[in-house]
Amino acid sequence: MSAKEKEWIIRLQMIQLQSENPHLDDYYYQEYYRRMEAKLAEEELGMRGKREPPKLTTPYVTKMDSYTPVVHIEGSLGQVAVSTCFSPRRAINAVAAHCPHEELKDIRQQRLDVLKKIEKLFMVLLEVEEQQRMKAQVLGEGEEKGLMEKTEIKVEYIYSQLQHPDLEAGEEFLPCLLVSKGKQLLARLLPFLSHDAALKVLSMVTSHLPVLMSRDADESLPVLYPSLRIVIGGMTFSQLIGVLKDFTASLPDSSGGSMCLSLVCQSKFGLSLLYALLSQGERLLSSDVPLEPSIGDFETWTDTVFLVASQLSQTALVEPLLLPSNLLTLFCRYLDKRTIHQLKSNME
Amino acid sequence: MNYMPGTASLIDDIDKKHLVLLRDGRTLIGFLRSIDQFANLVFHQTVERIHVGKKFGDIPRGIFIVRGENVVLLGEIDIDKLCDNVLQQVSIEEILEEQRLQQQAKQKTEKAKVTALKDRGLSIPKADNLDEY
Repeated sequence: MSAKEKEWIIRLQMIQLQSENPHLDDYYYQEYYRRMEAKLAEEELGMRGKREPPKLTTPYVTKMDSYTPVVHIEGSLGQVAVSTCFSPRRAINAVAAHCPHEELKDIRQQRLDVLKKIEKLFMVLLEVEEQQRMKAQVLGEGEEKGLMEKTEIKVEYIYSQLQHPDLEAGEEFLPCLLVSKGKQLLARLLPFLSHDAALKVLSMVTSHLPVLMSRDADESLPVLYPSLRIVIGGMTFSQLIGVLKDFTASLPDSSGGSMCLSLVCQSKFGLSLLYALLSQGERLLSSDVPLEPSIGDFETWTDTVFLVASQLSQTALVEPLLLPSNLLTLFCRYLDKRTIHQLKSNME
Repeated sequence: MNYMPGTASLIDDIDKKHLVLLRDGRTLIGFLRSIDQFANLVFHQTVERIHVGKKFGDIPRGIFIVRGENVVLLGEIDIDKLCDNVLQQVSIEEILEEQRLQQQAKQKTEKAKVTALKDRGLSIPKADNLDEY
Protein backbone atom coordinates (compact mmCIF):
# COMPACT_ATOMS: atom_id res chain seq x y z
CA MET A 1 0.00 0.00 0.00
CA SER A 2 1.29 3.39 -0.84
CA ALA A 3 1.55 6.06 1.78
CA LYS A 4 -1.21 7.99 0.08
CA GLU A 5 -3.63 5.07 0.46
CA LYS A 6 -2.75 4.67 4.10
CA GLU A 7 -3.30 8.37 4.60
CA TRP A 8 -6.68 8.07 2.94
CA ILE A 9 -7.88 5.31 5.22
CA ILE A 10 -6.63 7.09 8.30
CA ARG A 11 -8.30 10.29 7.22
CA LEU A 12 -11.54 8.41 6.65
CA GLN A 13 -11.47 6.90 10.07
CA MET A 14 -10.51 10.20 11.68
CA ILE A 15 -13.36 12.03 10.01
CA GLN A 16 -15.79 9.65 11.58
CA LEU A 17 -14.24 10.42 14.93
CA GLN A 18 -14.71 14.17 14.70
CA SER A 19 -17.04 15.35 17.35
CA GLU A 20 -17.92 18.43 19.32
CA ASN A 21 -18.37 16.45 22.45
CA PRO A 22 -15.85 13.59 22.54
CA HIS A 23 -16.56 12.77 26.15
CA LEU A 24 -20.08 11.91 25.12
CA ASP A 25 -19.51 10.38 21.70
CA ASP A 26 -16.39 8.45 22.53
CA TYR A 27 -17.04 7.79 26.16
CA TYR A 28 -15.22 4.49 26.59
CA TYR A 29 -11.99 5.60 24.98
CA GLN A 30 -11.87 8.87 26.90
CA GLU A 31 -12.72 7.22 30.18
CA TYR A 32 -10.20 4.42 29.70
CA TYR A 33 -7.38 6.83 29.01
CA ARG A 34 -8.37 9.12 31.81
CA ARG A 35 -8.16 6.20 34.23
CA MET A 36 -4.91 4.91 32.77
CA GLU A 37 -3.27 8.29 33.03
CA ALA A 38 -4.57 8.76 36.54
CA LYS A 39 -3.16 5.39 37.56
CA LEU A 40 0.19 6.14 35.95
CA ALA A 41 0.32 9.51 37.63
CA GLU A 42 -0.31 7.82 40.96
CA GLU A 43 2.34 5.18 40.41
CA GLU A 44 4.98 7.54 39.17
CA LEU A 45 4.29 10.18 41.76
CA GLY A 46 7.84 10.30 42.92
CA MET A 47 9.55 9.43 39.64
CA ARG A 48 10.55 11.88 37.05
CA GLY A 49 9.99 11.59 33.37
CA LYS A 50 6.51 10.22 33.31
CA ARG A 51 5.91 7.86 30.50
CA GLU A 52 2.84 8.95 28.75
CA PRO A 53 0.89 6.19 27.08
CA PRO A 54 0.28 6.79 23.41
CA LYS A 55 -3.02 8.59 23.10
CA LEU A 56 -4.99 9.41 20.04
CA THR A 57 -5.83 13.06 19.72
CA THR A 58 -8.96 13.34 17.73
CA PRO A 59 -9.64 16.72 16.19
CA TYR A 60 -12.16 18.46 18.42
CA VAL A 61 -13.61 20.61 15.71
CA THR A 62 -17.08 21.08 14.41
CA LYS A 63 -17.75 19.04 11.33
CA MET A 64 -17.30 21.13 8.25
CA ASP A 65 -19.67 20.16 5.54
CA SER A 66 -17.68 20.62 2.41
CA TYR A 67 -20.50 18.97 0.57
CA THR A 68 -24.20 18.80 1.20
CA PRO A 69 -25.00 15.29 2.25
CA VAL A 70 -28.69 15.99 2.08
CA VAL A 71 -30.11 17.67 -0.97
CA HIS A 72 -33.52 19.22 -1.26
CA ILE A 73 -34.80 18.97 -4.80
CA GLU A 74 -37.27 21.66 -5.77
CA GLY A 75 -40.86 20.60 -5.64
CA SER A 76 -40.19 17.33 -3.82
CA LEU A 77 -41.86 16.47 -0.60
CA GLY A 78 -38.71 15.47 1.24
CA GLN A 79 -34.95 15.24 1.02
CA VAL A 80 -32.54 13.00 -0.82
CA ALA A 81 -29.33 11.78 0.80
CA VAL A 82 -26.12 11.95 -1.20
CA SER A 83 -23.71 9.44 0.23
CA THR A 84 -20.01 9.32 -0.39
CA CYS A 85 -17.35 7.08 1.06
CA PHE A 86 -16.51 9.72 3.64
CA SER A 87 -20.05 9.74 4.91
CA PRO A 88 -21.85 6.65 3.73
CA ARG A 89 -25.11 7.34 5.45
CA ARG A 90 -26.74 10.45 6.72
CA ALA A 91 -30.03 10.68 8.52
CA ILE A 92 -32.72 12.50 6.59
CA ASN A 93 -35.08 14.74 8.46
CA ALA A 94 -38.73 13.98 8.20
CA VAL A 95 -39.46 17.69 8.00
CA ALA A 96 -39.18 19.08 4.50
CA ALA A 97 -36.83 21.99 3.93
CA HIS A 98 -38.36 25.43 3.98
CA CYS A 99 -38.97 27.10 0.63
CA PRO A 100 -37.03 30.34 0.60
CA HIS A 101 -39.00 32.40 -1.92
CA GLU A 102 -42.57 33.04 -0.96
CA GLU A 103 -43.59 34.82 -4.15
CA LEU A 104 -42.12 32.38 -6.63
CA LYS A 105 -44.01 29.38 -5.36
CA ASP A 106 -45.77 27.51 -8.06
CA ILE A 107 -49.20 25.96 -7.94
CA ARG A 108 -47.96 22.61 -6.71
CA GLN A 109 -46.02 24.17 -3.85
CA GLN A 110 -49.03 26.26 -2.90
CA ARG A 111 -51.20 23.20 -2.88
CA LEU A 112 -48.68 21.39 -0.69
CA ASP A 113 -48.64 24.32 1.71
CA VAL A 114 -52.40 24.34 1.91
CA LEU A 115 -52.46 20.61 2.55
CA LYS A 116 -49.86 20.94 5.29
CA LYS A 117 -51.84 23.69 6.92
CA ILE A 118 -55.03 21.66 6.76
CA GLU A 119 -53.29 18.70 8.40
CA LYS A 120 -52.16 20.84 11.30
CA LEU A 121 -55.61 22.31 11.73
CA PHE A 122 -57.12 18.86 11.72
CA MET A 123 -55.04 17.96 14.73
CA VAL A 124 -56.44 20.96 16.59
CA LEU A 125 -59.96 20.09 15.45
CA LEU A 126 -59.61 16.60 16.87
CA GLU A 127 -58.71 18.13 20.21
CA VAL A 128 -61.78 20.35 20.02
CA GLU A 129 -64.05 17.40 19.31
CA GLU A 130 -62.46 15.45 22.13
CA GLN A 131 -63.12 18.31 24.51
CA GLN A 132 -66.71 18.43 23.30
CA ARG A 133 -67.10 14.76 24.11
CA MET A 134 -65.64 15.31 27.56
CA LYS A 135 -68.14 18.07 28.18
CA ALA A 136 -70.93 15.58 27.67
CA GLN A 137 -69.73 13.82 30.80
CA VAL A 138 -70.74 15.34 34.11
CA LEU A 139 -68.22 17.97 35.12
CA GLY A 140 -67.99 20.56 37.84
CA GLU A 141 -68.96 24.19 37.08
CA GLY A 142 -65.45 25.55 37.08
CA GLU A 143 -64.07 22.73 34.97
CA GLU A 144 -66.77 23.09 32.38
CA LYS A 145 -66.15 26.81 32.00
CA GLY A 146 -62.41 26.28 31.69
CA LEU A 147 -62.99 23.60 29.11
CA MET A 148 -65.32 25.82 27.12
CA GLU A 149 -62.83 28.61 27.11
CA LYS A 150 -60.09 26.34 25.84
CA THR A 151 -62.37 25.03 23.11
CA GLU A 152 -63.28 28.56 22.11
CA ILE A 153 -59.64 29.52 21.75
CA LYS A 154 -58.89 26.50 19.59
CA VAL A 155 -61.92 27.06 17.38
CA GLU A 156 -60.96 30.66 16.81
CA TYR A 157 -57.44 29.59 16.02
CA ILE A 158 -58.61 27.17 13.33
CA TYR A 159 -61.01 29.74 11.91
CA SER A 160 -58.33 32.38 11.62
CA GLN A 161 -55.80 29.95 10.20
CA LEU A 162 -58.18 28.80 7.48
CA GLN A 163 -58.26 32.29 6.05
CA HIS A 164 -55.47 33.00 3.66
CA PRO A 165 -53.86 36.29 4.66
CA ASP A 166 -53.19 37.66 1.20
CA LEU A 167 -56.58 37.27 -0.38
CA GLU A 168 -59.28 39.94 -0.30
CA ALA A 169 -62.40 39.76 1.79
CA GLY A 170 -64.79 37.07 0.66
CA GLU A 171 -62.09 34.87 -0.84
CA GLU A 172 -60.03 33.97 2.20
CA PHE A 173 -61.37 30.47 2.61
CA LEU A 174 -61.12 29.62 -1.03
CA PRO A 175 -57.72 27.88 -1.09
CA CYS A 176 -58.75 25.54 1.69
CA LEU A 177 -62.17 24.94 0.22
CA LEU A 178 -60.84 23.93 -3.13
CA VAL A 179 -59.09 20.96 -1.51
CA SER A 180 -61.40 18.11 -0.54
CA LYS A 181 -59.71 17.68 2.81
CA GLY A 182 -60.28 21.35 3.49
CA LYS A 183 -63.98 20.85 2.83
CA GLN A 184 -64.11 18.04 5.35
CA LEU A 185 -62.31 20.18 7.89
CA LEU A 186 -64.74 23.04 7.42
CA ALA A 187 -67.73 20.71 7.61
CA ARG A 188 -66.55 19.41 10.97
CA LEU A 189 -65.65 22.85 12.21
CA LEU A 190 -69.01 24.48 11.37
CA PRO A 191 -70.92 23.11 14.39
CA PHE A 192 -68.42 24.81 16.68
CA LEU A 193 -68.48 28.23 15.03
CA SER A 194 -70.56 31.15 16.25
CA HIS A 195 -73.63 31.98 14.17
CA ASP A 196 -72.02 35.00 12.55
CA ALA A 197 -68.88 33.13 11.61
CA ALA A 198 -70.93 30.26 10.24
CA LEU A 199 -73.02 32.69 8.21
CA LYS A 200 -69.88 34.19 6.80
CA VAL A 201 -68.75 30.74 5.69
CA LEU A 202 -72.14 30.02 4.12
CA SER A 203 -72.25 33.29 2.22
CA MET A 204 -68.72 32.68 1.01
CA VAL A 205 -69.67 29.23 -0.23
CA THR A 206 -72.72 30.53 -2.08
CA SER A 207 -70.95 33.49 -3.61
CA HIS A 208 -68.22 31.23 -4.99
CA LEU A 209 -70.54 28.39 -5.82
CA PRO A 210 -69.78 28.28 -9.58
CA VAL A 211 -66.04 28.00 -8.94
CA LEU A 212 -66.48 25.39 -6.24
CA MET A 213 -68.84 23.32 -8.32
CA SER A 214 -66.69 23.39 -11.41
CA ARG A 215 -63.55 22.45 -9.52
CA ASP A 216 -65.13 19.71 -7.49
CA ALA A 217 -63.63 16.87 -9.45
CA ASP A 218 -63.90 14.23 -6.74
CA GLU A 219 -67.43 15.22 -5.68
CA SER A 220 -66.50 16.04 -2.14
CA LEU A 221 -68.74 19.13 -1.83
CA PRO A 222 -71.70 17.18 -0.40
CA VAL A 223 -69.70 16.68 2.79
CA LEU A 224 -70.46 20.31 3.58
CA TYR A 225 -74.20 19.89 3.16
CA PRO A 226 -75.28 18.58 6.60
CA SER A 227 -73.43 21.26 8.56
CA LEU A 228 -74.56 24.03 6.23
CA ARG A 229 -78.15 22.85 6.47
CA ILE A 230 -78.04 23.32 10.23
CA VAL A 231 -76.65 26.82 9.72
CA ILE A 232 -79.46 27.62 7.30
CA GLY A 233 -81.96 26.41 9.85
CA GLY A 234 -80.93 29.25 12.13
CA MET A 235 -81.00 32.06 9.58
CA THR A 236 -83.30 35.06 9.67
CA PHE A 237 -85.30 36.15 6.64
CA SER A 238 -83.02 39.02 5.69
CA GLN A 239 -79.94 36.88 5.93
CA LEU A 240 -81.67 34.33 3.76
CA ILE A 241 -82.52 36.87 1.08
CA GLY A 242 -78.95 38.07 1.00
CA VAL A 243 -77.66 34.58 0.39
CA LEU A 244 -80.31 33.76 -2.19
CA LYS A 245 -79.20 36.73 -4.28
CA ASP A 246 -76.02 34.82 -5.07
CA PHE A 247 -78.02 32.07 -6.69
CA THR A 248 -79.89 34.38 -9.05
CA ALA A 249 -76.83 36.35 -10.03
CA SER A 250 -75.50 35.90 -13.53
CA LEU A 251 -71.99 34.68 -14.00
CA PRO A 252 -69.56 37.52 -14.69
CA ASP A 253 -67.57 35.98 -17.51
CA SER A 254 -70.20 34.04 -19.36
CA SER A 255 -71.46 34.69 -22.85
CA GLY A 256 -75.20 34.61 -23.48
CA GLY A 257 -75.90 35.52 -19.85
CA SER A 258 -76.07 32.00 -18.51
CA MET A 259 -76.90 32.01 -14.89
CA CYS A 260 -75.56 30.44 -11.81
CA LEU A 261 -78.90 28.67 -11.52
CA SER A 262 -78.33 26.55 -14.60
CA LEU A 263 -75.05 25.34 -13.14
CA VAL A 264 -76.70 24.70 -9.81
CA CYS A 265 -79.24 22.42 -11.41
CA GLN A 266 -76.41 20.18 -12.56
CA SER A 267 -74.77 19.88 -9.16
CA LYS A 268 -76.08 17.74 -6.32
CA PHE A 269 -74.66 20.00 -3.69
CA GLY A 270 -75.79 23.24 -5.32
CA LEU A 271 -79.31 22.00 -5.84
CA SER A 272 -79.61 20.64 -2.32
CA LEU A 273 -78.35 23.92 -0.91
CA LEU A 274 -80.89 25.84 -2.95
CA TYR A 275 -83.69 23.58 -1.79
CA ALA A 276 -82.59 23.96 1.82
CA LEU A 277 -82.62 27.76 1.52
CA LEU A 278 -86.05 27.86 -0.09
CA SER A 279 -87.37 25.45 2.50
CA GLN A 280 -86.11 27.68 5.28
CA GLY A 281 -87.78 30.69 3.69
CA GLU A 282 -91.04 28.83 3.45
CA ARG A 283 -90.76 27.70 7.04
CA LEU A 284 -90.16 31.24 8.24
CA LEU A 285 -93.04 32.64 6.21
CA SER A 286 -95.53 30.06 7.34
CA SER A 287 -94.54 30.26 10.97
CA ASP A 288 -95.86 32.83 13.42
CA VAL A 289 -92.45 34.24 14.26
CA PRO A 290 -92.15 37.96 13.36
CA LEU A 291 -89.79 38.23 10.40
CA GLU A 292 -88.41 41.77 10.72
CA PRO A 293 -87.57 42.00 7.07
CA SER A 294 -85.62 44.81 5.44
CA ILE A 295 -87.02 46.94 2.65
CA GLY A 296 -87.38 45.07 -0.59
CA ASP A 297 -87.00 41.65 0.98
CA PHE A 298 -90.40 40.35 0.04
CA GLU A 299 -90.06 41.50 -3.54
CA THR A 300 -86.69 39.82 -3.85
CA TRP A 301 -88.19 36.71 -2.35
CA THR A 302 -91.01 36.49 -4.84
CA ASP A 303 -88.71 37.27 -7.72
CA THR A 304 -86.32 34.58 -6.60
CA VAL A 305 -89.07 32.02 -6.29
CA PHE A 306 -90.29 32.75 -9.80
CA LEU A 307 -86.85 32.63 -11.27
CA VAL A 308 -86.02 29.38 -9.56
CA ALA A 309 -89.30 27.79 -10.54
CA SER A 310 -88.91 28.70 -14.19
CA GLN A 311 -85.34 27.41 -14.25
CA LEU A 312 -86.19 24.21 -12.44
CA SER A 313 -89.07 23.42 -14.73
CA GLN A 314 -87.03 23.93 -17.87
CA THR A 315 -83.80 22.09 -17.15
CA ALA A 316 -83.21 18.49 -16.27
CA LEU A 317 -82.34 18.21 -12.62
CA VAL A 318 -79.93 15.95 -10.81
CA GLU A 319 -81.07 14.16 -7.72
CA PRO A 320 -80.51 16.30 -4.65
CA LEU A 321 -79.09 15.07 -1.38
CA LEU A 322 -82.35 15.87 0.37
CA LEU A 323 -85.71 17.05 -0.91
CA PRO A 324 -87.51 19.16 1.71
CA SER A 325 -91.21 18.42 2.00
CA ASN A 326 -92.46 22.00 2.10
CA LEU A 327 -91.03 23.04 -1.26
CA LEU A 328 -94.07 22.15 -3.33
CA THR A 329 -96.30 23.98 -0.86
CA LEU A 330 -94.12 27.01 -1.41
CA PHE A 331 -94.40 26.81 -5.18
CA CYS A 332 -98.13 26.15 -5.02
CA ARG A 333 -98.68 29.51 -3.41
CA TYR A 334 -96.97 31.50 -6.12
CA LEU A 335 -97.35 29.64 -9.38
CA ASP A 336 -100.04 28.30 -11.67
CA LYS A 337 -101.02 24.67 -11.90
CA ARG A 338 -99.23 23.92 -15.12
CA THR A 339 -95.87 25.10 -13.91
CA ILE A 340 -96.41 23.21 -10.70
CA HIS A 341 -97.09 20.00 -12.55
CA GLN A 342 -93.96 20.41 -14.59
CA LEU A 343 -91.94 21.22 -11.50
CA LYS A 344 -93.30 18.22 -9.71
CA SER A 345 -92.38 15.83 -12.48
CA ASN A 346 -88.96 17.38 -12.84
CA MET A 347 -88.11 17.31 -9.19
CA GLU A 348 -89.03 13.70 -8.67
CA MET B 1 5.13 7.84 11.17
CA ASN B 2 2.79 7.42 14.05
CA TYR B 3 -0.51 6.44 12.55
CA MET B 4 -3.39 6.76 15.00
CA PRO B 5 -1.54 6.11 18.22
CA GLY B 6 -3.46 4.44 20.98
CA THR B 7 -5.80 2.66 18.63
CA ALA B 8 -6.08 -0.73 17.05
CA SER B 9 -5.50 -0.34 13.36
CA LEU B 10 -4.65 -2.69 10.58
CA ILE B 11 -2.24 -0.19 9.06
CA ASP B 12 0.61 -1.50 11.12
CA ASP B 13 -0.05 -5.05 9.95
CA ILE B 14 0.54 -4.31 6.32
CA ASP B 15 3.21 -6.37 4.51
CA LYS B 16 3.40 -8.84 7.35
CA LYS B 17 2.50 -12.51 7.25
CA HIS B 18 -0.90 -13.25 8.69
CA LEU B 19 -3.20 -16.11 9.37
CA VAL B 20 -6.89 -15.49 8.88
CA LEU B 21 -9.79 -17.70 9.79
CA LEU B 22 -12.87 -17.19 7.63
CA ARG B 23 -16.49 -17.74 8.50
CA ASP B 24 -16.75 -20.76 6.24
CA GLY B 25 -13.99 -22.46 8.22
CA ARG B 26 -11.10 -21.97 5.81
CA THR B 27 -7.71 -20.97 7.09
CA LEU B 28 -5.61 -18.72 4.88
CA ILE B 29 -2.03 -17.67 5.38
CA GLY B 30 -0.51 -14.87 3.40
CA PHE B 31 1.06 -11.44 3.33
CA LEU B 32 -1.42 -8.69 4.10
CA ARG B 33 -0.97 -6.11 1.36
CA SER B 34 -3.94 -3.82 1.49
CA ILE B 35 -6.90 -2.89 3.67
CA ASP B 36 -9.80 -0.47 3.63
CA GLN B 37 -12.27 1.05 6.06
CA PHE B 38 -14.46 -2.07 6.08
CA ALA B 39 -11.46 -4.28 6.91
CA ASN B 40 -11.56 -5.92 3.49
CA LEU B 41 -8.20 -7.63 3.12
CA VAL B 42 -5.88 -8.30 0.22
CA PHE B 43 -3.53 -11.23 0.67
CA HIS B 44 -0.48 -11.99 -1.39
CA GLN B 45 1.11 -15.44 -1.85
CA THR B 46 -1.83 -16.93 -0.05
CA VAL B 47 -1.88 -20.52 1.02
CA GLU B 48 -4.90 -22.40 2.21
CA ARG B 49 -3.94 -24.70 5.05
CA ILE B 50 -6.03 -27.76 5.77
CA HIS B 51 -5.66 -29.48 9.12
CA VAL B 52 -6.67 -33.07 9.76
CA GLY B 53 -5.58 -34.44 13.09
CA LYS B 54 -1.86 -33.84 13.42
CA LYS B 55 -1.32 -33.52 9.69
CA PHE B 56 -1.69 -30.45 7.54
CA GLY B 57 -1.37 -29.58 3.88
CA ASP B 58 -0.90 -26.29 2.06
CA ILE B 59 -2.66 -25.41 -1.18
CA PRO B 60 -1.18 -22.37 -2.88
CA ARG B 61 -3.88 -19.91 -3.90
CA GLY B 62 -2.15 -16.77 -5.11
CA ILE B 63 -3.89 -13.47 -4.41
CA PHE B 64 -6.95 -13.36 -2.22
CA ILE B 65 -9.40 -10.57 -1.57
CA VAL B 66 -11.42 -11.20 1.53
CA ARG B 67 -14.57 -9.24 2.29
CA GLY B 68 -14.32 -7.80 5.79
CA GLU B 69 -17.52 -9.24 7.14
CA ASN B 70 -16.33 -12.83 6.52
CA VAL B 71 -13.34 -12.62 8.82
CA VAL B 72 -13.54 -14.42 12.16
CA LEU B 73 -10.06 -13.68 13.36
CA LEU B 74 -6.79 -12.44 11.98
CA GLY B 75 -3.37 -12.79 13.54
CA GLU B 76 0.18 -12.00 12.67
CA ILE B 77 2.61 -14.86 12.10
CA ASP B 78 6.16 -14.62 13.26
CA ILE B 79 8.22 -15.78 10.25
CA ASP B 80 11.30 -16.16 12.33
CA LYS B 81 9.73 -18.69 14.62
CA LEU B 82 9.93 -22.17 13.15
CA CYS B 83 6.94 -24.25 12.29
CA ASP B 84 5.59 -26.50 15.00
CA ASN B 85 7.34 -29.78 15.57
CA VAL B 86 4.08 -31.41 16.50
CA LEU B 87 2.34 -30.91 13.16
CA GLN B 88 3.41 -32.92 10.20
CA GLN B 89 3.22 -31.48 6.71
CA VAL B 90 2.04 -33.84 4.00
CA SER B 91 1.32 -33.51 0.31
CA ILE B 92 -1.85 -31.98 -1.01
CA GLU B 93 -3.39 -35.19 -2.30
CA GLU B 94 -2.82 -36.88 1.00
CA ILE B 95 -4.36 -34.14 3.06
CA LEU B 96 -7.35 -33.91 0.79
CA GLU B 97 -7.84 -37.64 1.14
CA GLU B 98 -7.57 -37.36 4.89
CA GLN B 99 -10.09 -34.55 4.87
CA ARG B 100 -12.50 -36.59 2.83
CA LEU B 101 -12.25 -39.49 5.23
CA GLN B 102 -12.75 -37.18 8.15
CA GLN B 103 -15.87 -35.73 6.53
CA GLN B 104 -17.23 -39.21 5.87
CA ALA B 105 -16.72 -40.34 9.45
CA LYS B 106 -18.36 -37.17 10.71
CA GLN B 107 -21.37 -37.67 8.48
CA LYS B 108 -21.74 -41.25 9.67
CA THR B 109 -21.75 -40.32 13.33
CA GLU B 110 -24.11 -37.44 12.63
CA LYS B 111 -26.51 -39.71 10.81
CA ALA B 112 -26.42 -42.25 13.61
CA LYS B 113 -27.11 -39.52 16.13
CA VAL B 114 -30.04 -38.18 14.16
CA THR B 115 -31.56 -41.65 13.76
CA ALA B 116 -31.15 -42.35 17.45
CA LEU B 117 -32.87 -39.10 18.35
CA LYS B 118 -35.60 -39.69 15.79
CA ASP B 119 -36.34 -43.05 17.38
CA ARG B 120 -36.84 -41.24 20.65
CA GLY B 121 -39.01 -38.60 19.01
CA LEU B 122 -36.50 -35.71 19.22
CA SER B 123 -34.78 -33.55 16.62
CA ILE B 124 -31.93 -31.08 16.76
CA PRO B 125 -31.95 -28.09 14.36
CA LYS B 126 -29.00 -27.92 12.01
CA ALA B 127 -26.37 -25.49 13.17
CA ASP B 128 -25.06 -24.51 9.77
CA ASN B 129 -27.93 -22.10 9.05
CA LEU B 130 -27.79 -20.32 12.39
CA ASP B 131 -25.20 -17.95 11.11
CA GLU B 132 -27.75 -16.35 8.85
CA TYR B 133 -29.97 -15.20 11.68
